[in-house]
Amino acid sequence: MKRANFGEGPGLPTLLLLPQFLILLFFFFIPSLRALTQSVLLSDPFGTTVQFVWLDNFTELFASGEYRQSMWVTFQFTVGQNALTLLVALVLAFATDHIIRGRSVYRTIILLPYAIAPAIAGILWAFLFNPAVGPLAQILHGLGIAWDPNLNPNHALLLVTLAASWKHICYDYIFLVVGLLAVPVSLMEAAAVDGAGPIRRFVSIGLPMLGPTVFFLAVMNFIYGFFETFAIIDAVTKGGPAGATNILVYKVYVDGFVNLNLGSSAAQSVLLMSFALLCTLLQFRYFDRKVNYGV
Amino acid sequence: MKRATFMAVLFTVLALAPSAKAARIEVQWWHAMSGVLGDRLNEVVDKFNKSQDKYTVVAVAKGNYDEVTNGVIAAYRAKRPPEMVQIAERGYMTMLLSEAVVPVQDLLEKQGYKIDFADFIKPVASFWSYKGRMSALPFNSSTPIFWYNKDHFQKAGFDKPADTWQELEKQLYAIKAKGISECGTVLPGDFYWSLLENYSAINNQPYGTLANGFDGLGTEFVYNRTKVVSQVARLKKWLDDGIMQIAGQGFSPEQLFTSGRCSTFVNSTASHGNIERNATINWSATFLPHESDIDRPLNSTIGGGAIWVLKGHTPERYEAVAAFLNFVAQPETQVWWHGATGYVPATNRAYELARERGYYKDHPTREIAVLQLSRGTPNENSRGFRFGNFVQTMLAQRQEVEAVFSGQKQPQQAMDDAVKRGNEILRQFEKLNAGKNLE
Repeated sequence: MKRANFGEGPGLPTLLLLPQFLILLFFFFIPSLRALTQSVLLSDPFGTTVQFVWLDNFTELFASGEYRQSMWVTFQFTVGQNALTLLVALVLAFATDHIIRGRSVYRTIILLPYAIAPAIAGILWAFLFNPAVGPLAQILHGLGIAWDPNLNPNHALLLVTLAASWKHICYDYIFLVVGLLAVPVSLMEAAAVDGAGPIRRFVSIGLPMLGPTVFFLAVMNFIYGFFETFAIIDAVTKGGPAGATNILVYKVYVDGFVNLNLGSSAAQSVLLMSFALLCTLLQFRYFDRKVNYGV
Repeated sequence: MKRATFMAVLFTVLALAPSAKAARIEVQWWHAMSGVLGDRLNEVVDKFNKSQDKYTVVAVAKGNYDEVTNGVIAAYRAKRPPEMVQIAERGYMTMLLSEAVVPVQDLLEKQGYKIDFADFIKPVASFWSYKGRMSALPFNSSTPIFWYNKDHFQKAGFDKPADTWQELEKQLYAIKAKGISECGTVLPGDFYWSLLENYSAINNQPYGTLANGFDGLGTEFVYNRTKVVSQVARLKKWLDDGIMQIAGQGFSPEQLFTSGRCSTFVNSTASHGNIERNATINWSATFLPHESDIDRPLNSTIGGGAIWVLKGHTPERYEAVAAFLNFVAQPETQVWWHGATGYVPATNRAYELARERGYYKDHPTREIAVLQLSRGTPNENSRGFRFGNFVQTMLAQRQEVEAVFSGQKQPQQAMDDAVKRGNEILRQFEKLNAGKNLE
């Protein structure tokens, strides 16, 4: 292996690492430490009275039905969003890879949602499916479906899952398209000569070779669902009705910034972080084995 | 040579500018008003800044009430708070017990301003004072009123909405049955305030113990044993029968009313500005309905915000703050603000002034809020609501009511659960603030 040479002493490498380290320090380590300390305290918002309450904030969370509901909703939401995003992105990637004429036009159109801010995307979906005024809701009503995400918890959860997936499909899509480009043409041609159709070629050759990409995307989707869907929830349902879409990250926000219950909010963010860490580890432990990295 | 002259002029200007600025003392006021209301607020500040040459108030919009509260908390913790902040009525206990504020009455008296605090309209004065002393200066006080589409009611053969919930219900069902509108009313975004809290006050129902929290931190919610339960059941029935609609996120209930889709709408009197600008319908407004078995409905209670003064500033800045607060409390300012926004005039003198000028002849609906607020003699059920962590208890209650609307719970069960959750939150506030010196 080739060794990189930075000259004498640790000076230059340290200097080069410093910006990254500072960013981590100020935006990750210090806040994490603050969250950890805050999670064992009961304090009023202005910080004039602070009491040390041991692990009360955590035990209260586990005793609370609302928090358990939030965990269950988060689970359904992230798993549903992850599966849907990957599936649609795969289909689209396969389709645009197959189509020759106007390929770049299709790609551009598919990538457009990524340029839309999550809050705007949320409002858009909320409006389209608003039972009183939304055009798509009217179509559903016309089909005899009593669509009402303001009242029906399942409809609300479905709506935010769809909105969150729609926003993230393009992210997965671009990785998959690039992944497909990396599939050796000779393999595809050989299969074509042997009489394999486009779908067969995709399933038997393209898909296995996309393994590492799909795995990476599954992890990224998961983290997206856990943390970055906040704006969509806020715009589409505000966690309602009756907590049906109150995912963990939204609850952290409401308890901290609306309810001003800083101790509980900090405890929740510590837990949320641990859940994310745990899930990522599990994914690497169990799914990583099934991924074939050899090309 | 020319260049030297230019530089000399430049330096003189630069040297003079700061000193000219330093002559005026600048103070900040963080607020939560946007849209039409934000414009009006800036006009108040401009008027003040132009009225004298000693002080400058800088109004800074910091988002909605929650965002302003968070902003001021962060700033206070970083030891750089603004001098003044507008906080919603629900944040009263949090602010009062924060030990971060200077009571406005103390401040104004110390600075030698003579404001007749007894002249503030009763529900407003009693809400914002603690032990008879004003803690914050009422700025934008509002109360919910009942807005209706005149044409819809006339077509159905009614003069106006009925006074009681029972009669009103018949009217709304009739309007729907005759096909005049498909939506009798729309659920207000802040229904907990207008249809549960104010409902309790008007119908003389207790909401919590200890005079709804006015008498201490040991208060407990009791609305699960009052008419609030049947009120929730009524709303659920309306929803099921298609008499009431929910606007949902991304869309305001007000739009459903002003576009003529829904016939009635309960909302703050502060919507006057928006409705006058947006409505394409022939609208009017009246008092909130009351139960038919109540002989004398009581006053409604206030919402909106007040200006709090924060600790930690220099005496000169407090001079500026006091001068501004004094300006805001003047009847002239109040009358102007009342007319420009629909908020209630804070003092009786301002109300008299508006009436003398014949303002209500042209704008009859603007008087409803004042009349409704000063109706009857306020008792401990109608004086107002003063609970710790009030936003949090409200959100828990809201969630339980949504569980009724979505059919997951019966009204009684949901209100029992809401009270139980609310009381736990109240106990937490009590624990946190135990032993705080409130004098």
